[in-house]
Amino acid sequence: MKSRPLLLAAVGLAILIGFPFVVANPYYIHLAQTIAIYAILLFGLDIVVGYTGQVSLGHAGLFGIGAYTAGVLYMHFHAPLLLTLLAGIGTTAAFGAILALPALRVTGPYLAMVTLAFGTIIQILINEVTDVTNGPMGITFSKPVLLGMVLDERAYYWVCSVLLVASLVVVHRLLRSHLGRAFEALRGSPIASDCMGVSVYRYKVYAFVISAGFAGLAGSLYAYSERYISPNTYNFELTVLFLLAIIMGGRKTRSGALLGATVIVMLPKLLDDLDLFRYVSVTLAALVAAGAAVQVARGKTTVARSAIPVIGSVALAVLSFVLTSMTDWRLSIFGLITLLVVYYLQDGIIGFVRQTLGWRGHGASDAAAAATLPPPASAVSTAVSQSATPAAQELVAADKVLMQFGGLKALNDVALHVARGTIHGLIGPNGSGKSTMMNVLTGIYVPTAGSIAFKGQSIVGRTSARIALAGIARTFQNVQLFGEMTALQNVLVGLHHTYRSNLLDVALHLPRYLREERAATARAYALLKFVGLEALAGEEARNLPYGKQRLLEIARALALNPELLLLDEPAAGLTAPDIKELVVIVRKIREHGITLILIEHHMDVVMSVCDVVTVLDFGQKIAEGTPAAVQANPQVIKAYLGGELEAPAAH
Amino acid sequence: MEILTQLIFSGISLGMIYAVIAFGYQLTFATSDTLNFGQGDALMLGALVGLTLVGMGVNYWLMIPLVCVFGAIQGAVVERIGVRPALKIKSEFGWIMSTIALGIIFKNVAENVWGHDDLKFPSPLPESPIKFLGANVLPMEILVVVGAVLMMAAVELFNRKTIWGKAVVATFNDRDAARLMGINTSLVITFSYALSSMSAALAGVLIAPLTLTGSTMGAVLGLKAFAVAIIGGLTSGMGIIVGGIILGIAEKLTGFYLSTGYQDVPGLVLLLIVLAVRPAGLFGKTAIKKV
Amino acid sequence: MLSITNLHAGYGKVEVLHGISLEVPKGQVVTLIGSNGAGKTTTMRAVSGMIAPREGKVMLGDVDITGRESHRIARLGLAHSPEGRRVFATMTVNDNLLLGAFPRFTGARSKGDIAADLERAMEYFPRLKERRLQLAGTLSGGEQQMLAMARAMMMNPDVVLLDEPSMGLAPILVDEVFRIISRLRSEGVTMLLVEQFAAAALNVSDYGYVLENGRIAVHGPAEKLKNDPAVQAAYLGGGH
Repeated sequence: MKSRPLLLAAVGLAILIGFPFVVANPYYIHLAQTIAIYAILLFGLDIVVGYTGQVSLGHAGLFGIGAYTAGVLYMHFHAPLLLTLLAGIGTTAAFGAILALPALRVTGPYLAMVTLAFGTIIQILINEVTDVTNGPMGITFSKPVLLGMVLDERAYYWVCSVLLVASLVVVHRLLRSHLGRAFEALRGSPIASDCMGVSVYRYKVYAFVISAGFAGLAGSLYAYSERYISPNTYNFELTVLFLLAIIMGGRKTRSGALLGATVIVMLPKLLDDLDLFRYVSVTLAALVAAGAAVQVARGKTTVARSAIPVIGSVALAVLSFVLTSMTDWRLSIFGLITLLVVYYLQDGIIGFVRQTLGWRGHGASDAAAAATLPPPASAVSTAVSQSATPAAQELVAADKVLMQFGGLKALNDVALHVARGTIHGLIGPNGSGKSTMMNVLTGIYVPTAGSIAFKGQSIVGRTSARIALAGIARTFQNVQLFGEMTALQNVLVGLHHTYRSNLLDVALHLPRYLREERAATARAYALLKFVGLEALAGEEARNLPYGKQRLLEIARALALNPELLLLDEPAAGLTAPDIKELVVIVRKIREHGITLILIEHHMDVVMSVCDVVTVLDFGQKIAEGTPAAVQANPQVIKAYLGGELEAPAAH
Repeated sequence: MEILTQLIFSGISLGMIYAVIAFGYQLTFATSDTLNFGQGDALMLGALVGLTLVGMGVNYWLMIPLVCVFGAIQGAVVERIGVRPALKIKSEFGWIMSTIALGIIFKNVAENVWGHDDLKFPSPLPESPIKFLGANVLPMEILVVVGAVLMMAAVELFNRKTIWGKAVVATFNDRDAARLMGINTSLVITFSYALSSMSAALAGVLIAPLTLTGSTMGAVLGLKAFAVAIIGGLTSGMGIIVGGIILGIAEKLTGFYLSTGYQDVPGLVLLLIVLAVRPAGLFGKTAIKKV
Repeated sequence: MLSITNLHAGYGKVEVLHGISLEVPKGQVVTLIGSNGAGKTTTMRAVSGMIAPREGKVMLGDVDITGRESHRIARLGLAHSPEGRRVFATMTVNDNLLLGAFPRFTGARSKGDIAADLERAMEYFPRLKERRLQLAGTLSGGEQQMLAMARAMMMNPDVVLLDEPSMGLAPILVDEVFRIISRLRSEGVTMLLVEQFAAAALNVSDYGYVLENGRIAVHGPAEKLKNDPAVQAAYLGGGH
């Protein structure tokens, strides 16, 4: 464990436990409870917004379900505290699943609207089903009771703190595990994610349901904290406030969620106290101006760009002196802060601080740790070498494949048979159907007609994720890496299929999970070594030079233990030395028993490496044979050059 | 039976309001793949500004073009501040959050200027119902339908007959190719936002005399109009009229036979169902993605 | 008329063009050929403003158009018929052609008689005349190519960029397209033609440049290039 986070954690814990001794006023202790409760919800919301990148406008509704589960159980059954908390988590997670299953088939603005509709429906239901929920009159609670003791403000604060710490640990472990990587991957590149065996839809649902669970816990805690709940609390404004907290505090960080929670709880109180607000806004304006000056001096930003945040914070300070009451303008201020943060502080306050102080994420240190692990027996292994039965000779048998888009036949009656252990080239002029063929083989397109058999079984109609897990891996023409993840993490996503651990294993760091994580990390590092990238294991994928990115894609694809590897224009954009390196790696892959299909335009690569070459033109196969034969084939020459050119003398 | 016919007519009138707001969503989505999450608030501002003008003595019919101009300016502001920066950095999250933020700001400003209570909007037409097919229909409801249809027809005419309208349709078809024709697509997008808010503002002054006018009137309207836009398909004009009428009638029937509290539910449930089953909408076309 | 000097351009981290230079003199048809991935379409896009050049200069006549926005470059008289045609699918053939003349409607180019020019375009492309009111999206590939070319001409442009007109077309339509290009050449149109089919392109051009891996490998009068073995080597390898 690294010393800095441990130190911070110890300090944080001390503050958390000691707080009610220092500040005895129950009003402030209650505020601290609210901050802790909101933070629990925000940890969950960050999974959806920060990691999977979806906007959810329904979390106030989920919060309300948690609160009302507690309320209903309390009011009708006098259920004890622990039971209602558990019920809150379970019920809200269930509602989250009911929403997620249909909703997460759509993304972006559609998803936002669907979750908003859901939140609105929940509010209406709570309001209308008065027999169960008491409707607009709300539900009143007496003081919570735990293990026979009545909890006063301070004791309940500690209950919330314990749950806050527990939530933090669980979420932290979750997001550092293969599950967290899966969440990030589906945002980074949904197509690559599916093709690496991580089903985008499924993991979006997991993320949403987990976040609903946390929202439910927060809601139930909130009910006992406020001791009165009513339907109109769980409205659109609250949901926007939660989102604001995440983006202002900083996505993908726990401290960001804590900071965000503090801001959204304290800011309205601050606005109520005008004198205090004036002090704070002036200080803030000064800080922003100073920070901007530092950034401009470092050359990280221009005067023009930093003008708006500076002007904004100064204007806010001026406004605080002009207006006599800020409370009425609370929502406008939140709106303005949202606008500023969305465009100027995209990584939130914590992100900004980290950048300024030059703190790097854990990616680099994880990579260093990975280098110290004992390497596996073999970096590249394929399911073939692991199977006992003799493998079939023909790996891919595609016949009469037709792929039609409207009136266009991208693939027209194409037959492709790939023998095991060969390197099979696929070439043809622009628009001839090569990439379409690859997309059909990996399930991205479903062929209009024809049969495609892999290892003797039809793969037509299977999802990309299932095809990937059946033994076909690929790279992409336009590099589809998970840009914000390190090279090591990218390969680890490819190794997702080696994990059997579930949420419980991860949360409690049970031996099975720890074992699997070690093995996968060692294997991932070895795969990076195989392609020569081990020195860059801790670098973010988007910062790698282009040639290295392409090699990383190959390493990631190999993590699937494929029997067939599809390379889509691997040499495109590479310099001559990079291409030499690529050819060496391709040959090494073949030596491990993996069959390859190669789409390429660089004729030199195709000629030197391929055993068989298939030529497509206008979606049809026009030639097939050894590279030399194909190169001299007059039909092929005509397809590329349009004929009528004099063929040069053979050399 | 009489009541049923009455509810249906009210439903049609309400449905046309949804259709006009949904129309606004389609306009911006077509040209920029974005939409205004604060569309309902644009409607609310239009209604309140209209109310103030009428209160100052301006004739209702004269007020309409003035509100339209206001709506257009408001739409251009939303585009400039909220959408254009997001398009530049290609951030979907950006325009979703900033149009939401702008909507909240507009609502808060409205609360402070016009107060929290709902106000009565004087009706320009006589308030006594007329008999139509055996049911009571308010003249204002007829005006709503006429106004909505006129607005959408005017835009259709503009798109088909003028070179500027054709430039807008070209932008919708293919932004890159439109630029190669010398069309300033940024301006086209600003224009579609202006038009979109203008139609919302017009919807606001049309519906205001029929319901209560206040800072909260826009909230759920925007969401339900989105449902209509989805049901109709984000690219089909006919679809949103049909979708709007279906929803309007469903709501009126629910509100009468069940309870007014549940009135908003059919639209929201319909949204969930349609998105789950047929995301392109009943009339729209699905798009095929290429890698 | 159009001159490109030391142009560097690319997408994201990849640089596709590593400093190319070429000239299109007024009244001539110049062709840029090369295999797929060599950078032909990237060149067109960098000229018409669809992507911004990273280094180098592009001059249209006396005007420096390097890095300007594409709609402004179009208004200066550069018409680009892009790769893949990109006609406006939900609009009629007639409307597509009218939009080609958009800069003339707005006053950026001299107005002239747009209606007369529309009729002239129809004479040039009889297939389009028959399908005047048909939606462009329902036209065949060949017809769409005709439309894209006619649309580009509607601006009365100073320079026309024609990007891979033969792509995806059956051979008989490819012949027709090149016949039209030949006709345009005889009328003195200034054109930069990008093509994968070297033979047909060189037949209708005055001058040619061969692009290989983002650099000009060979250039010269079209007649001489037709017999140059370096051209085939640039496509199918085996030349170095």
